[in-house]
Amino acid sequence: MTATSEHKVLIVDDELDFAETVVECLELRGFHAKSAGDANEAMALIKSGWRPEVVILDLKMPGVNGLEALNLIKAHDPSIQVIIATSHGSTSDGIEGMHRGLFDYLMKPVEINELVRMINEAIAQNATRRGGPAEE
Amino acid sequence: MKPVSCSTNPFKKYAFPCNINDLNLPARERYHCLRRGLRLIMFFVAMTPVLVTAGLSFYQYRQLLKEDTNNAATWSTMGAQQNIETFLEKLRLSISVISEAYTFQELIDQKMLDGVFEKLKQENRGIVDLSVIGPDGVQRAYSGAFNLAGKNYRDSFWYNKTLAQKSYISEVFMGFRNFPHFVVAVSRKMADSSEGNWVLRASVDTETLDRFIATVNSEIASDAFLVSQEGVLQSRSNFYGKVNDKMSLPDIGLPTGVVLMHDQRGSKNVIRTYTAIKDTPWILVLEQQQYGDKLSWRKFKQQLLITFCVCAVIIIFSVYRIAGFVAASIRNSDELREAVIAQTEHSDRLASIGRLAAGVAHEINNPLAIIGAKAQLMQDLLEHETTFAKRDKFMNQLESVNNAVNRSQKITHRLLSFARRMEVRQEPVQVNEVIGEVLSFLEKEALYQNIAIVQDLQADLPSITSDQGQLQQILLNITNNAIDAAGKNGNILITTRQNDSGSIQIAISDNGPGMPPEVRNKIFEPFFTTKTGENKQGTGLGLSITYGIVKKLQGEIQVESEVGSGATFILTFPTKPLVKK
Repeated sequence: MTATSEHKVLIVDDELDFAETVVECLELRGFHAKSAGDANEAMALIKSGWRPEVVILDLKMPGVNGLEALNLIKAHDPSIQVIIATSHGSTSDGIEGMHRGLFDYLMKPVEINELVRMINEAIAQNATRRGGPAEE
Repeated sequence: MKPVSCSTNPFKKYAFPCNINDLNLPARERYHCLRRGLRLIMFFVAMTPVLVTAGLSFYQYRQLLKEDTNNAATWSTMGAQQNIETFLEKLRLSISVISEAYTFQELIDQKMLDGVFEKLKQENRGIVDLSVIGPDGVQRAYSGAFNLAGKNYRDSFWYNKTLAQKSYISEVFMGFRNFPHFVVAVSRKMADSSEGNWVLRASVDTETLDRFIATVNSEIASDAFLVSQEGVLQSRSNFYGKVNDKMSLPDIGLPTGVVLMHDQRGSKNVIRTYTAIKDTPWILVLEQQQYGDKLSWRKFKQQLLITFCVCAVIIIFSVYRIAGFVAASIRNSDELREAVIAQTEHSDRLASIGRLAAGVAHEINNPLAIIGAKAQLMQDLLEHETTFAKRDKFMNQLESVNNAVNRSQKITHRLLSFARRMEVRQEPVQVNEVIGEVLSFLEKEALYQNIAIVQDLQADLPSITSDQGQLQQILLNITNNAIDAAGKNGNILITTRQNDSGSIQIAISDNGPGMPPEVRNKIFEPFFTTKTGENKQGTGLGLSITYGIVKKLQGEIQVESEVGSGATFILTFPTKPLVKK
C-alpha cells in the first residue's frame, strides 16, 4: 500500500461489476479510484475537473471503443497515462494503442497486484516527465 | 456382344454404359464401370481399322482371284480349242490332199489304198481305217482292221453331209464297227462329173481324241471333254461319264466365243466354259475349280485369319492393360483430389474452431476477470479483518478460487493463441541450430526423467526460409509430447534429412506406448487429448496449434505409430515456401 489518495485512477469498463470491484481493491491499496461504464461517462468525469493520473480502459465497449477513448483522453490531456485491459488476445490492438500513447496493455482476468505495479510505473513515469520524484 | 452390367440393380443388369457419375454407385463399382467402359471403347476403336483392313483385303483378293480364275479359264479354253481345231484341220487336210493327189480309180486299187493308208497312219495317230465310197454310196475299197467292203452308206447322215459340204467331220458314233469313232470325209467329183461324187473317208478312234484332250485336262482343268449340241459325250469325261453317255447342257446352242458359267458339281463350286470347235458338231467343255476351292485362296484365308487373331490378341491385351492403367490413374488422381479437399475441409474446420475458440475465450475472460477481482477484493478485505474466526480458512478458499482463475486464464490464453493469426516472418533458418536451441530448453526435464535424446542431424543441411520463432514452437511442442510419451528412462531420436525433392525433413521418434489408428487419426484435432491421467492434464490444443503453425509455414506433418512401438512425428518443410498473394 504505497500509493496515497492523491493518486487518482479511473476504471472504464462496461462490465460495471468488474470496474467497481477493481475500484474497491485499489481504494483498499490507497488509491483514489472511480469507475465509469463507458467512454462518454469517463470523459464527462474528467472534464468536470476530476483529473485521474491513470485510466484503465476496456478495449471493447459499446459506443466508443477503447482505442477511440484513448484518443479522446490523450486529446484532452496527454499527461494522463492509459492502460488497456482486455479479454481479447490480439497483440495488434496493443501495438496500435502504443502508437497512440498507450502506457501498457494487459489481458483479463487481471491480477490486482500486477495492475497496481503497472499503475505505479505509470505514475512514476509521469512524475519523471514533470521533473519531480514520484510519490511511492 | 453381351452388354456389360455395372449396376447393382438387377433390372439394370444389362444396361450399358452405366453412369460413372451416378454417385449412388459405390466408388469401387464406379471405377469398375469406368474401366469396363474404357476397355470396350478402346477395343472398338482399335479393332475397327483392323476389321476394315481385313475385310477389304478379303474382298479385294477374292475379286482378284475371281477375275484371275475367269481369265485363266477363258484363256485355257481358247488354247485347248485351238489345239483341237489344229489337230482336226490337219486330219481333214491329209484326207483332202489324198483325194486331190489320187483319182478314184487309183484309190479303189486295194494295193494303192493300203499304201496310202499306211502313210496316213504314220503321219496321223488314231486313224483306224481308210475307205473309198463310190457315187452310189457303196464302199468300193477299204483299208483297215474291219472288213466293211460293199457296205452301202447312201442313207448315212455323215455321207449325205459330206456330199453337201464337200468335207465333214462327224459326231462320234458306233456304226458298223461297233466301237466309238468319228469320221473325217471329203467328197470329189468323178473324172466324168456326170457320174457324181466319190467320197474318201477316214475313221478316227475316239481314244486318240481322249488322249489328246487328256493333256489339256491334266494341265489346266479338272475336266475337259467334247460334247455334241444334244449333250452326248464325244470324249471321255472325268465326272460326266464315257463316250456316248448323255449329260445335261445349258441352253446355249452352238456357242460363239467362250461362254463362262458358274455352277456346282456336288458340293464343289466350279467354272465351266463352253466353246464350239470350228467345222464340227462338237462343243469343248472345260471345268475348273472355283477360286474358293483353290489352295491359294485357302492359304490366304488361313493367313488372314491368323494375322487377324494375332492382332486381336495383341489389341485385347494392350487395351486391357492400358485401360486398367488409365482407370487406376484416374482413380488415384480422384483420390488425391478428394484427399486435398478433405485436407482443405480439415483446415477450414480448424479455422472455424479457432474463431469459435477466440469468441469463447473472450466471453469467458470477462466473467473470469470479475471472479478474479472479487476474490482478490475478498482477500484484501479479510486481510484487514483480524477478528473473523474462520479468516484463514476463507483465505485458503479464496486462494483456490484464484488458482482456478489462473488455470482458466491459461486455457483461454492458449485458446486465443490457437486462434491468433500472426504474420509469418521469412528469414533464413538453420533447422539443426533451432533443434539445438529447443533441446536446451528441455534438457532439465529430460535429465529429470532420465530420457536419452539422440540427435542424428545431417551435417550439410541447407538453411530454409521460414519463421524461426514459430519453428521453435513447433519443435518444442512435439519434443515435449515425445518426452511425455517416452516417460522415465525413455529414448528419443531426432533426425534431419534433405529429401530427394529438396525439402527438409525432421523426424522425432519416441519409444513410448504408441497409439492405435483411432487416436492417430484424431491427433491433430483441437481438444483431442490422451493426457487424462491424474498427473497428465492437457487442453488438447498443443498438437492442433502445432498443426496450424506447420500449415502456415507451408509444411507437412505426419505421424507414424503402432501400439507398442512408439511414435514418429515427421515434419517436412520446403526450403523456399511459395509467396502467398
